[in-house]
Amino acid sequence: MEKERKALLYSLMVAVIVFGLTVICWLKPADDFSATERRKLEQFPEISVASIFNGNFMEKFETYTLDQFPLRDEFRSIKAAFHKYAFGQMDNNGIYIADGSVSEMDAEISETALQRAKNKFTSIYNAYIAGSDVKVYMSVIPDKNYFLAEENGYLAYDYEELYAYVQENLDFAEYIEIRDLLEIEDYYRTDTHWKQENIVDVVQRLGDKMGTQLMASYEQKTVANPFYGVYYGQLALPIEPDTVTYLDTDVFKDCVIYDHENQKNIPMYDLELAAGRDAYEMFLSGSLSVITIENPNATTEKELVIFRDSFGSSLSPLLVEGYQKITVLDVRYLNEKMIGNFVEFSNQDVLFIYSTSVLNNESSFR
Amino acid sequence: MLFSSIPFFYYFLPSVLIAYYLAPKPAKNMVLLIASLVFYGWGEPVYVFLMVGTIVMAYGFGLLIEKMTSSFGKKISLGVSVAISLGILGYFKYADFFITNVNRVTGLTIPLLRVVLPIGISFYTFQLISYLIDVYRGTVAAQKSVIKLATYITMFPQLIAGPIVRYADVERQLSSREITFSKIAYGIRRFVLGLGKKILIANVLGEFCSQFHATADKSVLFFWAYAIAVSLQIYFDFSGYSDMAIGLGSMLGFEFMENFNYPFISKSITEFWRRWHMSLGTWFRDYVYIPLGGSRCSLKRNIFNIFVVWMLTGLWHGAEWNFVIWGLYFGILLMIEKVFLLKWLEKHKVFGHVYVLMLVVFSFILFDVVDLSQVVVYVQAMLGMQAFPMISETTMYYLNSYLLVFVVALIGATPLPKYVVEKVKENTIIRRCIEAIEPIFMIALILLCTGYLVDGSFNPFLYFRF
Repeated sequence: MEKERKALLYSLMVAVIVFGLTVICWLKPADDFSATERRKLEQFPEISVASIFNGNFMEKFETYTLDQFPLRDEFRSIKAAFHKYAFGQMDNNGIYIADGSVSEMDAEISETALQRAKNKFTSIYNAYIAGSDVKVYMSVIPDKNYFLAEENGYLAYDYEELYAYVQENLDFAEYIEIRDLLEIEDYYRTDTHWKQENIVDVVQRLGDKMGTQLMASYEQKTVANPFYGVYYGQLALPIEPDTVTYLDTDVFKDCVIYDHENQKNIPMYDLELAAGRDAYEMFLSGSLSVITIENPNATTEKELVIFRDSFGSSLSPLLVEGYQKITVLDVRYLNEKMIGNFVEFSNQDVLFIYSTSVLNNESSFR
Repeated sequence: MLFSSIPFFYYFLPSVLIAYYLAPKPAKNMVLLIASLVFYGWGEPVYVFLMVGTIVMAYGFGLLIEKMTSSFGKKISLGVSVAISLGILGYFKYADFFITNVNRVTGLTIPLLRVVLPIGISFYTFQLISYLIDVYRGTVAAQKSVIKLATYITMFPQLIAGPIVRYADVERQLSSREITFSKIAYGIRRFVLGLGKKILIANVLGEFCSQFHATADKSVLFFWAYAIAVSLQIYFDFSGYSDMAIGLGSMLGFEFMENFNYPFISKSITEFWRRWHMSLGTWFRDYVYIPLGGSRCSLKRNIFNIFVVWMLTGLWHGAEWNFVIWGLYFGILLMIEKVFLLKWLEKHKVFGHVYVLMLVVFSFILFDVVDLSQVVVYVQAMLGMQAFPMISETTMYYLNSYLLVFVVALIGATPLPKYVVEKVKENTIIRRCIEAIEPIFMIALILLCTGYLVDGSFNPFLYFRF
């Protein structure tokens, strides 16, 4: 009898938790969006005879139950904490934290990715630039692993090999080295990107090499909302969010920035986006394939064309001072054949500037 | 539907348990049957009809075998019913394997059928066959209720991953079973521990194996670590499922046979197979090996019997040559042990342990790597016969990162934790403390496993644009 009483108590304790969570699962209203993953969440699937017999309902229902699980982020934190502190695992799904900064391991060089980047840039050069009086420059931004991985015992590929590949295979461009100007503190702790306020020296190096005078006198302004970078949600462990600071100057006031993708003018810094799901999108309104920045107060007639990834969004505004017009192109999302519609290559500076994480990613350039 | 999934644990299981416990005794089998059909239909909506058809066939033949008065009539009925069962299994599981090999040998180009394999067909076919043979032998009476027979065959706890529950073992329980809080509490404990074995150990070791496969920076040490990891992963995965099945059975009032008994502590391969997937081993012993003559025959015939049983054991695991070779590999080792080695191993226990571990670890490479040419490469790499360094940076990173998981898995694969708990429980105060803490530990384990499951769905939209 005593044994049965203990067993009842035991069963009840476990049942209360499981059935409690079950009730919440059934009754909790579905969320639309996950801020940590920056994606829409699966909603309860439609039931029909066809969707049951072809298995679609079951498949979507499984995704729905996972996406809509109560306290989902908290449960992920339980897993991440156990993974790290009990099992002593160094990374969690490839994400690690070292020196207070979060990064994602990238252990091997992808020959395919580098080849694709080389082919893309060479093709653009041959189609539009070769034979013209355009000066071409190339620079590669190291990702956070460059500073964090090896010295903290994490895996990283041989960065020297990647840099050598770029310089040897894209020799039509004059290479501008910037690694010596960067350190881990120049990057957001919870995000992959660099901080605009910390790259003034990089901009000056680029300006010097491209023969452009930049005064680089800016006023620092801070976004009030905390910045939860792309790694914040992936880490799933407690970490302070970042703060976004941007550099402003009177030069920007008269600049006309045009988004050709959506055919409208945009601000240099979009403070509405700064308060949104990804504060880094405030720089040149996030991911846009073609932007032109015209500076009517420029003391020069020089023009610059920047082929860039997302790091270029915070970099490009700081080059405005030295040029009358800057065209910012993201050829990951712009068909190469369309470039001629936006730029006539003649007597400009052309800067290819990409991060190692984009160059070493096979899906960047196809 | 997997036991280790959110839909099962937080939707299906609680609903079924409530319905099952609230249902009056006579309706419990029906509740269980409906639940099992939903469970099976969740993954295989179309093949539910196949399973139901097979059960109806077995039900009819069971009654027919019993009704037949002549030995010949019984034999014919049994032969036809077993042939139908094996024919269905053969069509769905082995047809393409057979066609591929015929094409390879003859140069023909017979098109493959590309039939989708119904989940759990190997398990439920073997259960049906054991039922029919037992009815034929007269060890059990034919089941008069199709609901009860269907409940036995479809019972969701053991439907897709075993253990292979014999009809004779649950015949009485199908009609009358007692559900007590002790059984429920025991079932919860077994289920949650099984869930932990599957999610916290097997799946994590699976990640280690995936990292091994993904990296180009391999080393001899990495190959060994992989082979050990894959052996432990298969053990914890399979024994975890068996624990969950036994636990669920207990919650529903059933008692299923154990399927694993610390196989890695064996001192011979003979002993290993008495401890590994015991329900399959005893099934082959009782329904193939002994009917063929077992060991009570000439040595030549005995070796033939072992050869047949182990080829079939390999084929049961999958319709690929690597599984056949895997089965024969063990068959040959068992023959060698039978002829002379077993007696020697019994006297040299330390060697016996090392011998078993080495041979089992090699065997699971065959199990995991389907491409036979790759198996040779893997074994050569482990023996230092390929151009891999002894050690690499990547190896050290992952060994360092997974070290504790390996330690937990290696200790957990032995009876040591159970022994320690039982030993300390001899002290009354400690026993009471453990009993008080245990439900909290189980709840923590459930929440932790839930965290792992939920994390598996984390799918960040990693747009490189931002």
